[in-house]
Order: sequence, then structure tokens, then C-alpha cells
Amino acid sequence: MTAFRTDLITGGAIAVIGAVYYIATFSIQETANIVTPRTFPAIVGIGLIVLGLFLAGQAAVRHRKDTLAEAGTGSGGTARTTPARDGDGTAASAGESSLETADRSSGQEGVSGIVLEAPPEPQVRKVVFQFALFFVYLAILIPVGFLLSTAAFLMGLTSIYAPEKWIRNLIFSVLFAVVVYTAFVYGLAVYLPVGILG
Amino acid sequence: MDTLIDLGGGFASALEPVSLAFALLGVLLGTVVGVLPGIGPISAIAILIPVSFGMEPVHGLILLCGIYYGSMYGGSITATLIKTPGEVASAVTAIEGYEMARRGRGKAALATAAIGSFLAGTLAIIGLTFLSPVLVKLANVFGATEYFLLMATALLLASTMSAGSRAKALISIFIGLAVGLIGLDFQTGLPRQTFGMDLLSDGIDFTIFAMALFAIPEAIRNLALGRGAKDEIQSFGNDKWMTKEDWQRSAGPWARGSVVGFIIGILPGVGPSLASFMSYIMEKRISKRKDEFGHGAIEGVAGPEAANNAGVGGAMIPLFSLGIPGSATTALLLFVFTMYGLQPGPLIFRDETGLIWTIIASMYIGNIALIILNLPLVGVFVKLLKMPKEILFSSILVLVVIGAYAIEFSLFGLMMLGIFGVIGYLMEKGGIPMAPAILALVLVPLLEDNFRRMLQISGGSFAPLVTRPVSLSIIILMVAGIIGPIIFRWWVSRRKLLADVTVS
Repeated sequence: MTAFRTDLITGGAIAVIGAVYYIATFSIQETANIVTPRTFPAIVGIGLIVLGLFLAGQAAVRHRKDTLAEAGTGSGGTARTTPARDGDGTAASAGESSLETADRSSGQEGVSGIVLEAPPEPQVRKVVFQFALFFVYLAILIPVGFLLSTAAFLMGLTSIYAPEKWIRNLIFSVLFAVVVYTAFVYGLAVYLPVGILG
Repeated sequence: MDTLIDLGGGFASALEPVSLAFALLGVLLGTVVGVLPGIGPISAIAILIPVSFGMEPVHGLILLCGIYYGSMYGGSITATLIKTPGEVASAVTAIEGYEMARRGRGKAALATAAIGSFLAGTLAIIGLTFLSPVLVKLANVFGATEYFLLMATALLLASTMSAGSRAKALISIFIGLAVGLIGLDFQTGLPRQTFGMDLLSDGIDFTIFAMALFAIPEAIRNLALGRGAKDEIQSFGNDKWMTKEDWQRSAGPWARGSVVGFIIGILPGVGPSLASFMSYIMEKRISKRKDEFGHGAIEGVAGPEAANNAGVGGAMIPLFSLGIPGSATTALLLFVFTMYGLQPGPLIFRDETGLIWTIIASMYIGNIALIILNLPLVGVFVKLLKMPKEILFSSILVLVVIGAYAIEFSLFGLMMLGIFGVIGYLMEKGGIPMAPAILALVLVPLLEDNFRRMLQISGGSFAPLVTRPVSLSIIILMVAGIIGPIIFRWWVSRRKLLADVTVS
């Protein structure tokens, strides 16, 4: 995904969230105070809408500039240069923190000009799957109990990652669950759910 | 003089075996967690907060301060040996330190980082010791107007002085504010933004939010990546420690980094990351060996690492004396204080003198412990870098789940953790930094409370903002904080100071 699309989608999403947040403030009961309970939430909602639209707008303007610049140099048959982006230097480069250059082109700089390797991006499908597993773990933790659900969760995650090392995975999963359970329950008096073992 | 007596008292109790043990444990634990790739100080503290549940306040706080220091140093090890900075502050170390390690100078890089951190950290704590009482006196004339302005400044500076897009940092702040306002209004007791869910009326727990944002996205991303290219770990078994030349080349950067880091650290809303960048730029600018930068210049490790740690000490000053956190990490510490029923600020120096000075004294000890433990043990910590990713990140997920469970003891708390984990992941994908949101979440109740009190006292007028001398000065600082970075960015880009420092 290009930086343009990322910013456009992010900005749009933030504006929508801001709108929902702002609408929700209408159900806050009004009072006679100078600063009512609604004041701050309303400011925050409007702020999110404005910032979201600004981000999306900024991305759109920059994209237009880039496309125009590309069209200009493209006709000369030369490789793509990025005069527009370098032109508004700091503003454009401010588009990303120096650590989060994920889907920017390689020449993109952070504000201080320090560029780090973009972290590799996993496939969306796999991310969704990992989150799904995590939510299953969260859901079964209390009814099933910490020991069983944790051992199963760890076994699941490590086996997907390295199925051939199943013996190591099994030992790790059981041992980690037992050690952590003992440490928290007996060491720190944080009582973890016992579930069906209880 | 009073300060020295107080500090002496602090040392007396910080040197008690139990306190000492917690300081050492904190530093060790912090380093171990900080070394883990992708885990920076914020994540380290967030993951380890549950460990401090049920401890004596003073021990819990000593432990977490130690964890903070330790994780900063742990992060430098990771940055140097596998070029994976746990947070933005060690990004420059990931450049110069890694290049040094590749050239067989890994030990020298780690040593200059450790010694620089120790010196700068100690200097900053000395500054903390003597500046805090002064600031506490000054705080006595602070009213609601000043507190409101200081907090607003902190939030504003957190967005203008952050390393990336200002718009995105501001969005992050507003996300934090939005989440922080969920729950009962503390003045009127009316529910706000609960979307009709009673469970939301207690608000979103800060630790759950922090753990979800800082630990889950990183863990899920790495687990979803599967086995790709292995990180290349630089070995340094036969390297030399620092040579005489290294010492000479490091001394200046250490000193300059300490000063820059300390000053930036004190500024509200500006974390150590800017300090390390500023130091790096400065060292590069005044160096006679400009061409070495980007290829393993020891100055580029010594300065930023010193600045980084001086910034930590500096950031503690507004936290302790005014109760205003300057960064996401100190926001976490503020939360821990309040978790124990303590409110940092002028009153804590009056009512909890023993406690606060014990913590300050333990910071001196923690800093010494850091250098005594970490240089000899660096070989052990490096082994942690080889920990298989699936083991590391699945364990982290379990630990944050325990943390969330220990806070709410409910399915609702666990689900909040999961939902904010998803939100954090999406924020990361959109390039929105997480740290400003954490700061905003902690500050929003204080910000709103002081804003209300300011307007109640003035009868609805905004005039006190400019008519009170202290508040007017803060406004001037605020404006300087907005314009300053813009000029700085312009200056950096014009001079193309860093244009050639690219790692690809």
C-alpha cells in the first residue's frame, strides 16, 4: 500500500471515529456549569474530525503534486524523480516517524533524516488469524482456567510457527504455564483463574 | 542543606537490604526485558507493572525505576547487535552502534554506551536532586491556570517535537484524550461516552491500554511474519574494549549529550528520543570526522546514549515536583504512583519526604548497579537475542493477559485488552505513534479538572491565561515550543545535515 493510500484511509477512518464520538456526546446530560461534562468530549470529537480530514487532505494534495511532477519528468523519458516531495521537504518527510517507514519508498526520510529499514509487513490473513487465536485465548481463559488455556494457547502459537519442534513446544508450553502460575499465585498473590481444574 | 539531609535519609533507607535488592532486581529485569528485540522501555514497564502489584509502594517504585534504567540499556544492546531499536530513542544507536559492531568494535560501542549512560544518568539525578526542591517552591505559586497550561504545553510539545508527522502525533494525542474521557465524569458523576455500556462507566484502565498498544501489535506482527530472514547477530567475543582513543573521542560527546539530554528531558512533553537525535546531529556537525558518521563513529553512540539517559533523569523532575509527566514512560510511572495512592507534586515532598528521597537515592544506586552488572554480564544478555521469536512473543502475550486479568479480574478487562490491541495494530499500520496517546490518557483528567477550576475561579473568563505572570511565561514557552521545532526542521533540511545518513 502506498503512503498516499495509507494516509487517505487513516485520515478518513479517524474522521469517521471523530464523528461517531461527537454524536455520542449528545447523550451526555447537560449541566449548568461553565465547563459542562460535554465540553471536553465535544472538543475531542471535533478535533478528531478536523485532524482526520487534514491528514486525508494533505495526502491527496501531495499525491496530486507527485503525479504532476511525474507527468512532467515522465515525458522526458527519464526515470522518476521526486522533486515535489523533496521540495516540501520537512512537511513531506514529517509524514512518518523514522521508525515507521513501513510502506514508504526507500528514499523517504524521517524528520531528522535518519532512515531505518522498514520492518517487514506480514500478510493480512495471517495477522487476522493470530488475532483470532488471541481472542479465543482471552475468551476461554476464565471458564477453562489459566493452566490449561495458556498451555494450549502457547502450544498452538509455537506449533504454527515451528511445527517440527513439537516436543520442545510442548515442554515450553506446559513449563511456562506452570512456572508463571506458581510465580503469580504463590509469589505475588495474584490469583489466576483455576477454571475446570478447580 | 536541607536537600542533602533529605537525600542522606533517602540513602539510609535505599541502602537497606530489601530496597537494595529491589533496585538491583529492577535493573536486571529491565535489562533482560529491554534486550528482547522489539521491546523498548515503555513496553518493558507496561509488561512488568503487574509484578509490582501488592508490593510496598516504595519497593514497587524502586523496582520500576530500576526497570526503566535497565530497559534503556538493554535497548542499546539490541540496537548495537541486531539493529533492532526497541524505541525511537535508540534508533541512532542502531545506526552507528551496529556499524561499529560490524567492524569488530561491538564491545567498544556497548562500553561507550554504558559508561556514557552512567555518567549522564548520574549527572541528571544530581540535577534532579537539587532542582526538584526549587521547582517545588515555585509550584507553590502555581494555580489551576498554570497547571492547565503546563499540561496543555506537554501535549502540544509531544506532538510538535515528535520525530514524525505532527498531524499523526496530534491524532494520537486526541485518541488518548478520547479514550481517557470514557467513563463517569468525576465532577458531576454523569456517564460520558459509554455508548450505553455500564461496564464502560469505570473508564478504560490505563495499564490495559498501555500494554495493549505497546506489546500486542509488536507480538502479533512478529508471530504473523513466521520464519523469515533471521536477524543477523553481531558477535563480539574477541573484540577489544575501549581504547585510549575511544575514551578521548567519547568524553566530549558524553558531556554535551548529558547537557542536551537533561535540558530536553525537563521540557514537558518531550521525551528522550528527541534528545538522542539532537545529540547525534550536534556531534555530527562539530565532528572533524564527518565521513565516519553512518559507518560506525563512536561519537554517534556516546553522545546519543548519554543524552538518552540524561533525558530520563530530566523527565523525572517535572514528574516528581509538579506531578506532570514529560513522556509516555514517565506517564506510566505517574500511573504507578497513583496506583499506590500517591500523588507526585509539591505535596509528596512535604508529606512523603522519606519515600520520595528513598526513590531518588535508589536511582543513584540503580545507575551504579547498571554499570557494575551490565558490562560484565553483557555476554549473558546477548544470549537472549537468540531466543526463538515464537517463544518470546507468545510468552509476552501471556504476560500481558495476566496483567490485564490482575487488574480487572473479568472477561470485560480481557476483551478490552484484545480490542485495544487491534486498535494499536491499526494505529501502527496507519503510522500513528503510540506514545503521545499514552501521555494524553494520563493527562486528560488533570487537564480537564484544572481547566474547570481555572474558569470557575475567574468566573468564565480566559483572562488569567495572560494576566498572571507565570502563566504568561508558560504561554511564551508554548509558542516557542511550536515555532522552535519548525525552525529546527527547516535548518536541518536546509543544511542537509543528515541527508546522507541512510540505512537501507
